Amino acid sequence: MRRLRKVEIVDCCNNFARVTSRRDFLSRAGYGLGAAALHTLLGGTKAVAQPADAPAAFPNFKPRAKRVIFLFQAGGPSHLDLLDYKPQMKDRFNQDIPASVFGTQRITGMVAQQDRFPVVPTMWGFRQYGESGQWLSELLPYTGKAADEICVLRGMYTEAINHDPAITFIQTGSQLPGRPSMGSWIDYGLGSENQNLPAFVVLNSLPSNGQPDQGLLSRLWGSGFLPGRYQGVQFRGGGDPVLDLSNPPGITREIRRGQLDALSALNQELHSRSNDPEIETRIAQYEMAFRMQMSVPDLANVSKEPDHIYSLYGEDARKPGTFAANCLLARRLAERGVRFIQLYHRGWDHHGGLTEKLPVLARDTDQPSAALVLDLKQRGLLDDTLVIWGGEFGRTPYAQGASKPTSYGRDHHGRVFSLWMAGGGVKRGYSYGASDDYGFNVVEGGVHIHDLQATILNVLGIDHTKLTFLFQGRQFRLTDVAGSVVKEILV
Amino acid sequence: MLSYYSGFRLQSCGSDIAEHMLEMMAIRRQFAKCGMLGLALTALTFSQSLTQPLNYDRDVRPILSENCFQCHGQDSKKRMAGLRLDSFETATADRHGHAALVPGKPEESLIYQRITAEPRARRMPPVSANKNLTPEQVAVLKRWIEEGGQYAKHWAFAPPVRPPVPNAKDPWVRQPVDGFVLQRLREEGLHPNAEAPPGAWLRRVSLDLTGLPPAPAEVDAFTKQVQARGEAAYVAAVDRLLASPAYGERMAMDWLDVARYADTHGFNNDSERSMWPWRDWVIHSFNDNMPYSRFLTEQLAGDLLPHPTLDQLIATGFGRNHVINSEGGIIEEEYRVQYVTDRVRTLGMAWMGLTLECAHCHDHKFDPITQRDHYKFFAFFNNVPERGEDGRVANAPPMIPAPTSAQQEKMRTLEAEIGALSERLAKREKAAKWRAAELAGLAATETVPAGAVLLVACPENSEIGKTPGVHSCASGSIEPKPQTVTKVSISKRNPLTLSLWLKPAASDTDVALLSAIDYTENTASVEYGHGSELRLVGGEIELRLSQRFPSYSLRVQSSGANLKPGQWRHLTLVYGGADKHSLRVKAAWVRMFADGREVATHVLNDGLGLPGAKDDKPTETRFRIGWDNEVKSQRYAGLLGDVTAWSRALSDQEIASAFARGALSYAAALPNGQRTPVELRWLTNASLRARDAGFARAFDAREKLRAELFSLQRETPTVMVMQEMPLPRETHILVRGSYDAPGEKVEPGVPEDLLGAWPAGAPHNRLGLAQWLTQPDHPLTSRVVVNRFWQQLFGQGIVKTSDNFGMQGEWPSHPELLDWLACHFIDSGWNVKELMKMMVLSSTYRQSSDASPELVARDPENRLLARGPRFRLPAEVIRDQALEIAGLLKQEVGGPSVFPYQPPDLYKGIVVAADYPGTMYVESTGDDLYRRSLYTFWKRTVPHPAFNVFDAPDREVCIVRRSTTNTPLQALTLLNDPIFIEAARKLAERVLREGGVTPEARLTLAFRLATGHSPNERELQILNDALNKALAAFQRDEKGAQSLIQVGDAKSDRSIPAVELAAWTAVANIILNMDETITKG
Repeated sequence: MRRLRKVEIVDCCNNFARVTSRRDFLSRAGYGLGAAALHTLLGGTKAVAQPADAPAAFPNFKPRAKRVIFLFQAGGPSHLDLLDYKPQMKDRFNQDIPASVFGTQRITGMVAQQDRFPVVPTMWGFRQYGESGQWLSELLPYTGKAADEICVLRGMYTEAINHDPAITFIQTGSQLPGRPSMGSWIDYGLGSENQNLPAFVVLNSLPSNGQPDQGLLSRLWGSGFLPGRYQGVQFRGGGDPVLDLSNPPGITREIRRGQLDALSALNQELHSRSNDPEIETRIAQYEMAFRMQMSVPDLANVSKEPDHIYSLYGEDARKPGTFAANCLLARRLAERGVRFIQLYHRGWDHHGGLTEKLPVLARDTDQPSAALVLDLKQRGLLDDTLVIWGGEFGRTPYAQGASKPTSYGRDHHGRVFSLWMAGGGVKRGYSYGASDDYGFNVVEGGVHIHDLQATILNVLGIDHTKLTFLFQGRQFRLTDVAGSVVKEILV
Repeated sequence: MLSYYSGFRLQSCGSDIAEHMLEMMAIRRQFAKCGMLGLALTALTFSQSLTQPLNYDRDVRPILSENCFQCHGQDSKKRMAGLRLDSFETATADRHGHAALVPGKPEESLIYQRITAEPRARRMPPVSANKNLTPEQVAVLKRWIEEGGQYAKHWAFAPPVRPPVPNAKDPWVRQPVDGFVLQRLREEGLHPNAEAPPGAWLRRVSLDLTGLPPAPAEVDAFTKQVQARGEAAYVAAVDRLLASPAYGERMAMDWLDVARYADTHGFNNDSERSMWPWRDWVIHSFNDNMPYSRFLTEQLAGDLLPHPTLDQLIATGFGRNHVINSEGGIIEEEYRVQYVTDRVRTLGMAWMGLTLECAHCHDHKFDPITQRDHYKFFAFFNNVPERGEDGRVANAPPMIPAPTSAQQEKMRTLEAEIGALSERLAKREKAAKWRAAELAGLAATETVPAGAVLLVACPENSEIGKTPGVHSCASGSIEPKPQTVTKVSISKRNPLTLSLWLKPAASDTDVALLSAIDYTENTASVEYGHGSELRLVGGEIELRLSQRFPSYSLRVQSSGANLKPGQWRHLTLVYGGADKHSLRVKAAWVRMFADGREVATHVLNDGLGLPGAKDDKPTETRFRIGWDNEVKSQRYAGLLGDVTAWSRALSDQEIASAFARGALSYAAALPNGQRTPVELRWLTNASLRARDAGFARAFDAREKLRAELFSLQRETPTVMVMQEMPLPRETHILVRGSYDAPGEKVEPGVPEDLLGAWPAGAPHNRLGLAQWLTQPDHPLTSRVVVNRFWQQLFGQGIVKTSDNFGMQGEWPSHPELLDWLACHFIDSGWNVKELMKMMVLSSTYRQSSDASPELVARDPENRLLARGPRFRLPAEVIRDQALEIAGLLKQEVGGPSVFPYQPPDLYKGIVVAADYPGTMYVESTGDDLYRRSLYTFWKRTVPHPAFNVFDAPDREVCIVRRSTTNTPLQALTLLNDPIFIEAARKLAERVLREGGVTPEARLTLAFRLATGHSPNERELQILNDALNKALAAFQRDEKGAQSLIQVGDAKSDRSIPAVELAAWTAVANIILNMDETITKG
């Protein structure tokens, strides 16, 4: 769904006559075309002053992937219990983290009163999976099956130490509210490949233990200072998959068609007087809405998925709104060319009771996440889809409260954490970066949040320094003034 | 080289400056030349190659600013090669025998050499900067150097000067603004568009000034008036609209975006706050036509005005509208600094159109604002007694009670009645003598209310411990060590009454009486300050119930107990306990009594959430008696006695009784001459009551009124306000903007060289800042606001970048018009209504918005104003209009925010799981479903979708212009959202009822309601066809018809057959979706 925008018409005012017929207009309304392509098609050239709302030509170079699925694990999954194996910690149970390791760590108020920071090793075993021999926790057996497809980044780091700023940072490039989300930036830069669906779709799920801990914030998929049309569209578990998608009761599709025809004719009549191109755009948008009323339910209707798909994703995938069901939906969105698919799984904030809660969360996410990767692969979609699994930060190697071998909690930890990626030109069965013996600091291969963002954009063929938007006198970008592409993980 | 805004200071507004006229005439000619290129109108970047001579400000500076200043500007830390290109002196400075700028000689100028260098790797700007100069831009720079390479002060930083109005005699020029617009049109070879029909203008101006469409009857009446009275009809119409309360609501709508107003705190838990009294202040200020200078001053510094009124204090809520973080574990200072930074940002954006926040971490890259300047501004806002982590469940201090005008009225009445009764009673009291005989039996009839638990008994050697019923403590103070109280349990859910006798010592100015709060934890700990406490503070009693002191606590002080050293007094505190539905513990549930009579209370903090499991189970609490464990705390040196508790809320009567039982016999037993005046009064009062039924009645009546007054006071909403700490915080430049890296110390101040001198005698605080901003020659304040009002009417400002008047801002489309307006506005006494009136009466505004394709192609954004404005309505107005034409809108100004329909599970899966106020959306009922949209509960992290979809911002930061997008989600909302379906049904009922009998007449009425004019033949035909189709469809599907007309809470008109109503609803649905309906044209 490329939504034709006012500026594109504005942009090419000297060629205006070429797009004034409605049919011509509709046929050109950007189907399958990015903003930049449309810009060119309509005769825009670099000599024409760029309106603030028109990005330069994207992609900048040959993209490795066309779309992104971000399996966001909100709350801060413990890298030490899932992805970052630290056998050395076993021998140091209940010892204090050495000052040399601790350094100038900013600690949260939640542990600020602790007089010591005792090491607590993971209570779960780790083993090597696949030919690549990725070390993963026994909590992630399915991810293990996909070990040869994924690339684990073990040197992730962020400055933020609390959820709101950290999650806002990874999703918008700034710890403070007000910036566009990653999906909005990408929609703005690349547009959609599907005329009937939004380019940026958001799917939320709750953990099966019913303890999501933190709230989400619609700014995470908001468009910030980018025009509102770039905000993510939430697909919802129950009711209308998209708000107000269904006709009101009593309005059949036939009646609606009749209404839209009348509406279109009335708007045409108005246009013949006022010649405002916005009217033409509006006609096109009503048609797109009408198509979405078909395409979205079709997308959301998973009843025809065969049983083997459910055994791949797990039986939870039959329950709308679960993370598993959303993973399946994500595949269907990817198949239809949706550009940025953002999933949220919540409940990873394990200050206490990590040892009871983590297995539940891991079970929720392990099988469907791996299934998504494998399913995309078997459909030939993995090569041009980038899948990312991870949260806003990791968790501390020291216990929050007392350190007990099989009953502990961990505080937030941003100095190092892990996430994995798969597909989209990222090395398979690979790992990059390492933390120290405590999983406390980056030792090598540090990847900052802005680096991650730069890399994601790079995979999509976007130079992160070029994807800018002029707001209040300054060219803003997702990566602020930083970010380097992590070339080492790219094929 | 002519430059209107030459660097030196011109005379300020209000002066007649004949000597500048010639100069300005020349400038207009210059515009004529430079504006010839219609092609590049989009960004109003005038084609420089045709201009002769160049204007630095308009032609050159934008190129240098965008491409060079980032590395060669004023930010000394990022300056490359020690080269500074933003001033003549630095650009022409010697560089080893060369200079970046050699006036007149481009080939010798390093600037020119480097921007034309080959290969690309040597050329500026460098490849890494991602910037490329176009050949045209290179040519402009070359020409600029050839012509002397002169710099000029950025136009927006020089005070505006009122230019003469051109074309004043032209018949098209109704208002001065028209003269400027016409001038520009002529230069472009364009003509103004035809005037819009009166009805079209009336709809436009009604939507612009009130956010509501005119009724068809108003359109008819107005059209007739125009024929009869001509221009006077227009003036009368505008006066009527400006006098409507809806005007203030419409004007407030935009200001709420600027002021980042919302009903929630915005971070993480995003719970509810109450800032709506501030929002109502804004509405009333516009309706009262408060001068903009005062509007500014009261919001920035109302608290610093001499003897500020309640309204002036409420106004300062502007400075507290920013987001506040309650996330456990944050580092408080990091966020406190952020709040101050937000105030600076908002100061810049809202009042000055500047991006001051850019200088938070480093010198501004484009504007001559240094990091030091930023922190000098910062210092003005750094003295608020606030905390970084706050607002978990309610407003964050500092805050004040903000009674509504109705409440104020009621309070005044009660106070007057109480005053009158008190006067009567006082006369009697004065004359009365107490009689022991009367009292003899009295004390015996008073009883200790059932269920009493004595918490602290008196030591054996009680002063008068042998007197029956009185257990006061005698010699010396209570042993100041923790004592275990084993017989009472406290839970925040359950009610409690606590009473005690006390006789403070002179040193007891701020001491704990009973304390179970642990202050020894690390203050950053989430466990810090958990518990409950009763204190004596400045002769008043303070109750603290706390999850985490002080942010997440309830703090209530008595007001008027007036406890004095050396006097025995009796105090009772009633805590009502939580009701089942409440999501939090409220200060309103606390009442206090002195000597058996209720006293007023004063809420210091009301931030206590729902009790957690551990607080909700009644537990035995161990109190420290007479002290708390804070390191520096004082110990209670007075006497304390009979600390008694009830695990229920005692009635007023029981409290009076409990007091009397102890007090009367005690006081009576004292030797004559040894009673304090208070003790004597206990006796005279009791005596009087016993003997004089009239006195007793009046006394009881007064107590009832007082209880009513205090209850009203407790229910009063609060509003967060600005306050100054007695000792200001020191402000330091924060190195790289980091809260924990203080650098050089700075004092409050402003960039005087750039934006004007500090007014003589102005105080160096926020009030002085307001005076500085509103002095007539401030270059920005007036320009920025008139530009925004212009934007409100014409869709975009004269300076299109209404959010940036700095170097990166756009050159104004009509510079002289902007300055004329700015000066006129100041000279009018910052009269907003007058300004709006003038603009909407102008010929410019009255033009038809219909345009030829050629004109649209030539000037797609209508920057030249050769036609009237045409823009999609703002989100709020789209909904309000639908409600209004459906007859559903309930117009009532102000009050708490309301909860109209919203998808029932919208919050599910997004908001935090815990129960905080604002985490559940409980739909309103009745009229509140149909209030104007600006009253809709504005939750920052999950904004109402119907507004969000139409580009309403989430209000996390100051926004001065919204985008206007056009998306399929908007179509889905307007087509399917219950509120618009309900509105369609009510519109259908309305036209069936009021629209005559023929379908044509009814369709015409519906169309007129939505657009302000009748449909043409073709439009009528289309609607008629649609109606017939819908009728046919619903005749086939009567069940469908039934279900359609049941959407929405408003009852259906049963007299209309379902099929007919449904078909008309479907047609009304079309009408509400027409582009023309949702567009101001």
